[in-house]
Amino acid sequence: MKSNQIKSSMRSINYILYLFVATLSMQTMSYAQESPKEEDFFKINKLRSPEGTLLEVGGLCTMPDGNLAIATRRGDVYIVENPTSPKPYFRKFASGLHELLGIAYKNGSLYVAQRGELTRLQDANMDGKADIFETIYAWPLSGNYHEYSYGPKIAPDGSFYVTLNLGFGDVWWSGTSFVPWRGWALHIFEDGRMEPWATGLRSPCGISMIDGELFYTDNQGDWMGSGSIMPIKKGAFLGNPGGLVWTNMPNSPLKLTPDAIFSKVNPRIEFSEDGRRAKPENIEKESFKTLADIKKDVPELQMPTVWLPHGVLGISNSEIIKIPKGVFGPFEEQLLVGDQGQSKISRVFMEKVKGELQGCAWDFRSGFQSGVLRMSWANDGSLFVGETNRGWGSAGEANEGMQRLYWNSFMPFEMKTVKAMPDGFEIEFTKPIDKKKAANLSSYLVESFNYKYTPVYGSPPVNLKKCPVKGVKVSEDGLTVRIIVGDLRQYYIHKISLDGIRDQDSSYSLVHSTAYYTLNNIPDGPSLSLKEVSTKNVANATAAVAKVKAGEVMTYEQVKPLLIRNTCVACHNPNKKLVGPGFNEIAKRKYSVDKILQLIKNPQPQNWPEYATPMAPMPQVSESDARKIATWINSLDK
Amino acid sequence: MNMGYHPNFRMNVVSCIKSGIAIWAILISENLSAQTKLDLTSMAEFNKPTANWHIAGSVYADLNKSHHISFTPGTGILVNIPDSTARKDLFTNFKHGDIDLELDCMMAKESNSGIYLQGRYELQLLDSWGVIKPKSIDMGGIYERNDSKRPIGQRVFDGRAPRQNVSKAPGLWQHYKISFQAPRFANGVKTENARILKVELNGVVIQENIELSGPTAGSISRNEIAEDALRIQGDHGQVAFKNIVVTKFPDQKPSLSEMSVNIFQGRFEKEPDLSKLKSMMQKTIPTMTVNMEGIPKNFYLSQYNGKLIVPESGEFNFNFVSKGGPARIKIDNKVIFPYDRKGGKTTIKLEKGEYPFELILSKYYASEVATISLKLSASNLREYVISDPKVLQLSTKDPVLVEAKENTILRSFVDLPGSKRVTHAVNVGTAEKVNYTYDLNTGMVIQVWRGDFLDASPMWIDRGDGSSKPLGAVQYFGTPTLAINKLANSNAVWNSDTTGTGFISKGYVLDELDRPAFKYNMYGNSITDATKMLDNRQGVQRTIMLKNAAEQMYVRLASANMIEEVSTGFYIMDDHAYYLKLDDIGTAKPVIRNQNGKKELILPIQNKITYSILF
Repeated sequence: MKSNQIKSSMRSINYILYLFVATLSMQTMSYAQESPKEEDFFKINKLRSPEGTLLEVGGLCTMPDGNLAIATRRGDVYIVENPTSPKPYFRKFASGLHELLGIAYKNGSLYVAQRGELTRLQDANMDGKADIFETIYAWPLSGNYHEYSYGPKIAPDGSFYVTLNLGFGDVWWSGTSFVPWRGWALHIFEDGRMEPWATGLRSPCGISMIDGELFYTDNQGDWMGSGSIMPIKKGAFLGNPGGLVWTNMPNSPLKLTPDAIFSKVNPRIEFSEDGRRAKPENIEKESFKTLADIKKDVPELQMPTVWLPHGVLGISNSEIIKIPKGVFGPFEEQLLVGDQGQSKISRVFMEKVKGELQGCAWDFRSGFQSGVLRMSWANDGSLFVGETNRGWGSAGEANEGMQRLYWNSFMPFEMKTVKAMPDGFEIEFTKPIDKKKAANLSSYLVESFNYKYTPVYGSPPVNLKKCPVKGVKVSEDGLTVRIIVGDLRQYYIHKISLDGIRDQDSSYSLVHSTAYYTLNNIPDGPSLSLKEVSTKNVANATAAVAKVKAGEVMTYEQVKPLLIRNTCVACHNPNKKLVGPGFNEIAKRKYSVDKILQLIKNPQPQNWPEYATPMAPMPQVSESDARKIATWINSLDK
Repeated sequence: MNMGYHPNFRMNVVSCIKSGIAIWAILISENLSAQTKLDLTSMAEFNKPTANWHIAGSVYADLNKSHHISFTPGTGILVNIPDSTARKDLFTNFKHGDIDLELDCMMAKESNSGIYLQGRYELQLLDSWGVIKPKSIDMGGIYERNDSKRPIGQRVFDGRAPRQNVSKAPGLWQHYKISFQAPRFANGVKTENARILKVELNGVVIQENIELSGPTAGSISRNEIAEDALRIQGDHGQVAFKNIVVTKFPDQKPSLSEMSVNIFQGRFEKEPDLSKLKSMMQKTIPTMTVNMEGIPKNFYLSQYNGKLIVPESGEFNFNFVSKGGPARIKIDNKVIFPYDRKGGKTTIKLEKGEYPFELILSKYYASEVATISLKLSASNLREYVISDPKVLQLSTKDPVLVEAKENTILRSFVDLPGSKRVTHAVNVGTAEKVNYTYDLNTGMVIQVWRGDFLDASPMWIDRGDGSSKPLGAVQYFGTPTLAINKLANSNAVWNSDTTGTGFISKGYVLDELDRPAFKYNMYGNSITDATKMLDNRQGVQRTIMLKNAAEQMYVRLASANMIEEVSTGFYIMDDHAYYLKLDDIGTAKPVIRNQNGKKELILPIQNKITYSILF
């Protein structure tokens, strides 16, 4: 060929090669976009119930014969016979009780916590309905509506635990223990003896018994920066000082006073111009303490075992249950945690490091029809989910109900566990991963943050820092990676994002690619040497966020990653009412961009009286993100 | 907020002084005639009363004897005892149009009477004790009309049954509150029917906003009229009345006229200076209304101007509700409701005259529909809407009512008048409409009621407050106090504190009919306490049992202002509010004693006592 022809042929060949490579990478990208989701593995069905059966579920338990006992907030107890069959049969076992928020079975009786007492229900004449309503132990109430009482959970020795919510009066942002033992966990015996067990509880809806030990989740609010899982040990202080007013009672297992906390952290008793109590707002640039700071001087303080970052893994955490052996495949023996506000379930893995439990949490399954309050395993390995949202609102189209979650036995591509290492983390997967991508450091992003310990209603994430990923070792079988992560901080929540990881077979991305590890302790042991690991770092095409000129309005597709990364989507949808108003509704208010920025930092929930759950301050949203989001919101108002 | 206003007359000072005096005189006379308690020291209030009507100091109607009322001399009570020689109805001297009537009445067993408003429209008085499904002929019913010209089977019509039967046993005082609006006429022709605006019996609304198409059967006349005397039926049975309070209403009431509205576009979070703005629209309107064409959906301010015409001086209560954004009202150029979203209530004295009136409403809340509701009332003026009454109904939640179709239990918080909230209360209802509430913390029956079971809206709408309210007519029994005490002697102080008693609630057990027997421990003893509806539905019967025979244990049966023993073991409580009957008390001797300014009925208990509350 002549040189010109050669040149043009070369150009043509280059062009063809370029197209080929481009097509290949586009195919890779499109595989990632088609990756299976939660609903492809875990299916949700409704539990069939007679029309008009109102199931505002407050308690669930599966009895030894497989029947399901449902306790409701309207004071009813239903027993559902053959609950996993196509025709479950409902029997009303008891009624007229006062706001049931838990139910447990022992020796032929059902036990429930009502607002004011722990009650034993027994059908003595065996007509299918309870006739004995025995008060095991009654506690005082002030009559405040928020004095909810949860449980019981039954300990291995047959004794009971209940947890008691603080009251909320005119000062709605600050929980008060108006009468003994609000804000406490109580240990109650069958013969009616009671020993006060621990305090510091705020809204302890998620009382749970895991392997014979008492745990619970508390909800974000005053003194609780975010929801979390904590064990309740005897004599412990779980964080909210409300219940400390009763530690002077003779049978209190701890002597910690409210002042012991207030002398370290300003209780922010503030007043507005008209002399009324004012809600303390988050102060952006202040020096603050974290729980770890307080723990040094307050040994009774219990640190969270696993933080459930607010807005991401729930806004009103509820029950914790353990997945039995042989159930839900790779997740057997891990934990599931419900959420009443986002109507979803998160998954938790715990491990002991230096003798203390800590662990990791991921999203698991969203899309329940109402707020998830209680869960109980059916005998066939499916999960009964009891729901209610009256008074608080939730995601989902219903106000209450009973649903059932089951696994279709297909293996989802997920992180199975995340374990702390002396120099980073070790991540196990449910399926072998693409080793090349796993060896690429840009597939990983690790950031860490903490929460303030203050009387303000919730805390924004603080002290955010990116942690450098320095190296990665991929196991031979492709099921495990160990990443070397710098700047690890004890007590901090480490957000581990594996957006670049793909599975070996189909190049799917992870169903849930973000894990939140609560690093209360860093294990001792040998670090990896850099010789054993890959340090390759090639920028990933999928990671970029669209660059938009200042003032230009983004499209929904462009702003979506910002909404996700800043967790706006936890509560807001472009045009549907969720926990919070749709963005289209916000647009109708015609706020200026600056006003929206202000409101993101200091929300004014009184502007939206029909929404029961107040928005938490979010000063951690960067100004540039906030401006782009605000400009997009305003573009919705046409 | 109370403001005095000077009369708005454009006359000289002397005239002002004269008018001032005249206005003062009007004010005095208006207040005197507004609300009056009938003088029952003699029959002077009544027009030629016949001999069956008497004035008495006290009355007694035997629960078990038909048509039996007896009375003692004195004043304050009006009694009717008809016989063959005297049995006419009673008419007042005063005539009335619109009227509020409040009174206590006592029925004898099987008695039948009626209150005829303007002598023409009858509210039935009957001994309907224990009736489960009341008809229009029962207590609190609006009696039927009749017309012989109608087809057979339709000649009797328009009787209105009360919503529930909340009437009490014979011999007990029952409290009525009646609001009546007379028919309206123009040029001698009726333009509007008479109305029963509301009837409350024993605290429960049993009739509301009933239009009366004509006089009821037994009316003194087939024609209708602006004003006529009040009439009480006297021919059918014994009945007694006391505390009769009459409120008459003036013909004319304040109104708004010459209303116009200016619309300004914009979003006004703070009150703007309207003089600097240009309005986009101006209209005259017949009433102060938000329903107009051509206004924007959002981001505008409406300015209403007009005159408030006050036909007679008085002290007026304004009740203002607005939605959509902040609003402000000025009367006579003075702010009576400031520019905010709170609205509220305020009272102003206004002399007869005309006053400039201005209201501004700024609409920028996207989630709210613009709404204005301004209501007026006075001591002699029923609350009415002075703005456009056709306002978009503000959405409210569906009430949650609990019916007792069978024996039903529902625990809730219970609020009693003058007491702390009862937190461990158990409400028990029956299909026969006899209900009670038991306090687990004291072992006391704290209230009983006849009628529908419970309104659970306070606890089951949204978050609620954990409480419910009885739907029927409630008899309260005072501040909850321990039902049982160990006393050194029958004069020892009754202890309300459980300290040292070993008091502990054990819950309850249901019998085959789902009726609860409450159990608790005290003083080392086990106590069973069961209250059940009497088979004859006359009330409830309570049995308290101690597991071990005990000494020095007493049960507190009642605390009341008055306790009258009319026969052995049969008491009239609290000036004819309810009855208490000792059914089975063994050899125990009841004791009536004074405690804390009240009378207390206590009874020693060794093993078991049974008594009834009839109501």
